[in-house]
Amino acid sequence: MAYVATRGGEKAIEQAERLFRQDLGTIDPDRVETIRRTMPYLIDRVMGEASLYSEELAALALAQTGGELSEAVLVLRAWRTTQPRIAIARPVQQSELLTQRRISAAFKDIPGGQILGPTLDYAHRVLATDVLEGRPYTPPMVDMADRPAPQRQPVLADWQRQQGLVKPAVPSEIAPEDIPDLTREPLLLPASRAHRLQSLARAETGGVLALGYSAMRGYGNAHPTVNELRLAEAEVVVRHPRGAQFSAGRVRVSQAEVTSKEKGGYLELGYAATFGWNEVKVIAAATLDLNSAEAPVGSAVHEEFYLYHTESVEASGFCIHFKLPHYVTFQSVLDAMRGAKARQASARAAEENQEESVP
Amino acid sequence: MSLATLTKPWAATSYGFLDASAKRELRRKMLKAVAVPGCQMPYASREVPMARGWGTGGLQVTLTLANPGSVIKVIDQGADDGVNAASIRRFVSSVSGAAQTWDTLDASIIQSRHRIPEEILRENQVLVLQVPDPEPLRDVESNISIARQMHADADYGKLWLTLYEQIVRKGRIMQGASYPALVNGRHVITPSPIPRWDVPKLHMSKHLTILSAGREKRIFAVPPFTRVEPLVFSDRPYLVEDHAGLTCQRSGLSGFFMNELPMDGGGSRFEVSDSNLGIKAIRRTEGEPDGIGDTWYRNGEYSA
Repeated sequence: MAYVATRGGEKAIEQAERLFRQDLGTIDPDRVETIRRTMPYLIDRVMGEASLYSEELAALALAQTGGELSEAVLVLRAWRTTQPRIAIARPVQQSELLTQRRISAAFKDIPGGQILGPTLDYAHRVLATDVLEGRPYTPPMVDMADRPAPQRQPVLADWQRQQGLVKPAVPSEIAPEDIPDLTREPLLLPASRAHRLQSLARAETGGVLALGYSAMRGYGNAHPTVNELRLAEAEVVVRHPRGAQFSAGRVRVSQAEVTSKEKGGYLELGYAATFGWNEVKVIAAATLDLNSAEAPVGSAVHEEFYLYHTESVEASGFCIHFKLPHYVTFQSVLDAMRGAKARQASARAAEENQEESVP
Repeated sequence: MSLATLTKPWAATSYGFLDASAKRELRRKMLKAVAVPGCQMPYASREVPMARGWGTGGLQVTLTLANPGSVIKVIDQGADDGVNAASIRRFVSSVSGAAQTWDTLDASIIQSRHRIPEEILRENQVLVLQVPDPEPLRDVESNISIARQMHADADYGKLWLTLYEQIVRKGRIMQGASYPALVNGRHVITPSPIPRWDVPKLHMSKHLTILSAGREKRIFAVPPFTRVEPLVFSDRPYLVEDHAGLTCQRSGLSGFFMNELPMDGGGSRFEVSDSNLGIKAIRRTEGEPDGIGDTWYRNGEYSA
């Protein structure tokens, strides 16, 4: 087997993986629980991109990949896809959401009020270096409001529909099991509304931000106004085989509705929602949705462009695959290049010969 | 009858890793692909425990076809011991119980990236090619909706024009690997990034070839005994890589596709790209029976 002796082969790949895992050390339930408890927004981001709502599994994925986000999302997706789809939850209505934060930039005040909820929006982003000098940071407690905000909030778009500002909503009549499911079928274009929103919901946060930002900055046709932004918890209501509907638990969700200008006598709305609390992602995604209708083919705000290029697992996988050997294709290119050069050289030589022979 | 007799014991993953619904979809799409040779069929392309772009399309096909009686060969750049090939072969074998081999002649399923083995494949073998980009029109039309329409109309004019322009500018067609080919006189495919050397091996072959792009979620097929014709002009013959005269420094083989290895101080040496063919030839020089099967190329000329 002298032929293969110079190659690294199976032993090398095994040792390379060991080296990665050895650097991370032992992964135990404590480490997973610490990640889950202390990094809720990171967990949310990973759950959204994996389209798998499990804080525990997301924390485990982060632990075993050392926080390499695209790897963490990949292991979760690869696990998720092997699981059976056992039920289809009742669609979540906005007005039923247990809302913790809900703001609108379109009006100074809105029915139900502006509920700031948890946010760093108005904080001064100062690094708490004191912590490193042995002075732990303990946040001051929140003062209880005199009157707690209601758990559920009305929908601003409903008020706008009453006023004739937004087109009446026409819910599509579709059996739950017929709702297109992007995780079980390919994305075909033009995408169904379901596929577009599902694809954005599981899109890579940074990718959505980059393309959404390009639309906001001037490469799109619509500058977004945040009509309504919500961070909430949604009940996952499923039907028991015996018929009763019950909540199987709650999931954290974010959703954004952005608007821009009038079209056909109504305000256009762009929409996005995702698992977990991830405001940047839903605002950027809703902006892409808003820009889609009039997007030139091939532009960054055209759905084929942004849906394909914000797919976390596909984009990261393809990017790192360029590390794989490509010497066969390269050899093929070299051959064509050398062939063309030889042809040019012989053509030049023939020309010179001809010139020399001219008296 | 009790419930227990109808169920199986719980297992962390299904046989062959993919669950039954994913395999069913793949079987259906493979049949469709065979029924319309060269036509790209969209499929869900589930995530697998491997990164996209690393053979996930080929892997899903192999996992669906594999059974405990299968014999799996996986190659990358022609080599069985390429790190990724080894990883895929080990995974398929561990989840399906299929046997592993390096010998092209022994394999029932050959999954490959960028090469077709040099030994002629038989009726009872399936070649699974990993495809990074299934769309031969991508360079001339990056929008897949428009490209799909062009396939429907058999509108390949832009592709012909590109090849013609190359002749005008460079004196020859400059396409390296992934040379576009017309399948069954109807659909143009990319044969995946195999070198031009390998494209004739798909034409009227005895074996079935399934080409699967996991990231792009498309599957297409070249059924046995189907025409596969590289796009060429009648006055410009199809040119395979100029490797016919090269000799492998390790095995002494010549007349096959080679890897070029730059040498200190200039110049190159060559090694046969089909690594197991090289091993067989080395065995022959050591006096063992070589077991080299019939090859598509003889003395550097395609002759199958």
